[in-house]
Amino acid sequence: MNTLVVDAHVRIGQHREAALSVEALLAAMDRTGVDRAVVAPSEAQIAYDNRAGNAATTQAARATGGRLVAYAVANPWRGAAALDELAWAHEQGARALAVDSALQGFDLLDGLVDPLVRFAAEHRWPVYVRTGTPPGHLPLPTAALARRFPEVAFVMGRSGATDFWIDAAPALRHAPNLYGDTSYAPWDTVLGEFARDPEIGTSRLVFSSDQPYATAVGEMRRMRDWLLPAHERAAVLGTTMAGLLGLEKEPPA
Amino acid sequence: MIDFHTHTPLWTSASWLGGAGFDADDFVRFMDAVGISRAVVLSHDGLFHSTPEANDAVAGFVGKHPGRLVGFGTYSPRRPEALAEIERSFAELGLRGLKLHPWLQGFSMHEQVLDPIMEIVAAHGGILLCHDGTPPYSTAGQIAALARRHPRVPVVLGHAGLHDLWRESLHFTQETENLYLCICGTPPYAAARILDRAPAHKVLFGTDAGLSDKASQDYAVARVLEIDEWGITEAQKRAMLVDNPARLLDGAA
Repeated sequence: MNTLVVDAHVRIGQHREAALSVEALLAAMDRTGVDRAVVAPSEAQIAYDNRAGNAATTQAARATGGRLVAYAVANPWRGAAALDELAWAHEQGARALAVDSALQGFDLLDGLVDPLVRFAAEHRWPVYVRTGTPPGHLPLPTAALARRFPEVAFVMGRSGATDFWIDAAPALRHAPNLYGDTSYAPWDTVLGEFARDPEIGTSRLVFSSDQPYATAVGEMRRMRDWLLPAHERAAVLGTTMAGLLGLEKEPPA
Repeated sequence: MIDFHTHTPLWTSASWLGGAGFDADDFVRFMDAVGISRAVVLSHDGLFHSTPEANDAVAGFVGKHPGRLVGFGTYSPRRPEALAEIERSFAELGLRGLKLHPWLQGFSMHEQVLDPIMEIVAAHGGILLCHDGTPPYSTAGQIAALARRHPRVPVVLGHAGLHDLWRESLHFTQETENLYLCICGTPPYAAARILDRAPAHKVLFGTDAGLSDKASQDYAVARVLEIDEWGITEAQKRAMLVDNPARLLDGAA
C-alpha cells in the first residue's frame, strides 16, 4: 500500500481489560503498514487522571518524533480546570481532543463538553467522540453536538458499533462535519452503505484500529479487502485524517 | 384537558403488565374523575400482535364516545398487508392516527417500508405517535430522521425521552419542524425543563392510562395531579393540556 496511512484512534496504557504499550503499538504499526497513529490515554486517565493521560500521550508523541499524535483529554465536569488541562496539553504538543461521555459521565447534549469543544475550535483540533450503545453516546446526539460546532471536525468513534450502526448513516447525513470511523465495521455491509450514500461517501470515513479493543491486523485486513478506487482508499486510510489534523503540511514523521 | 397518550385494555394478548378489564364507559368515568375532556386512545393488543381485529377493537372502543375518545391504530410495518390495513384504519374505521412501537414491534425507524406508510398517514391528515426513550430502536434522533423525510406528518414522541433520553427528545423537537413531544412517564425535572426550552406549541401531555390494574387508572390520576408540582406557569400548563393537543387533533388554534 503506497499511501499515507493514519490510524485515527488507539488508546495506550493499561485499561480495565486490555493494555497497549507504545512499543507494542509501534510494532503493530510497522506490521500493518501504518505511518502515524493518534493516541488517547487509558480509560482511567480519560475519566479522572487527565494530567497523567496528557503527559502519556504527549510524551509518546515526542518520543516517536511525531509518528504518534497526541489526543488531549479532560473531564468536562472539572469546569475551568478542564480548560487549563487542555491548555497544558496543547503546550505539550497535543493536536486533538478525545471525549468519552460514558467514561467521563456526561451527556453529549447537556452542555458540559461545549467549552472543551470551543477550545478545540480555537486551536483547530478535531474532536473524537466515542459512540456506541445507550445512553449518552449515540451517533445521532453526536451529530447534534457536531451541528452546534460546524467549524469543528468530529470523528464518530466506532460509528455506533454495533447495534447503532444503523444510526450512523443518518448521523453522517445530518452533520456534514462528522466523520465515521471504520473500526469493527464490515466493509460489505456498513462501510459499503456509507460509501454508496450520495450524502456520505468515502470522503467522510477515517481508518481506525481502535487498539487495544480491536486487533491491528484484523482492522487493516478488512481495509485491504475492501475494493475501492485508489484515491478513495487513500482518503479513508490516511489523507482525510491527516487533513483534519493538519499533518499534510508536515514532512513524514 | 386532553390526554394524548392512553391505551385500550389488553384484550387478547399477554403482557408483563397485569392490567385490568374496562370498557369505554369505565374509561370515560376515569377521565371525568380527573378532568380529562378528551383522550387519544392507542391500540394495545396491536402492539404485541398486529391484526385487523385489533384496529377494529380500537375503533369500537372509541366509537362509544366519539366526542371524548380519539382512536389511533397500529400495524406491524413489515407485514405485507400493512399498507392496506393502515389505509383501512383511516378510511373505513375513522382512526385519526398511527401508533408505532419500534422495539415492541421489532423494526427500525430507518427502514424504507415506513415511507409509503407515512404517505398514507399524510394523505389522511393523520398523526404518527411513536414510542420513544428506549434504546435500541425508539430514540428521538431515529424518529426525527423519519419525520424529516415526511414533513407533512406531525410526529409525536410518545414519552418525551423518558428518564435517560429526554435531552435527546428535546433537542430533536427543537430542530425538527414536525416533531412534537408528549410528556408521559417523563420525570418532573425533565418535564419542567422541556416546557422551558421546547417550542411552546409542541409540548403535549399523556398519562399512559389503560395499563393499570384498576379500571380507575390510579397512576394516571396521580400523574395528572402531579403536574401542579412541576413549577410551571399557567400558560405552559394550558398550552400543554389544552391548546397544543387541540391544535394537533382539530387543526385549529
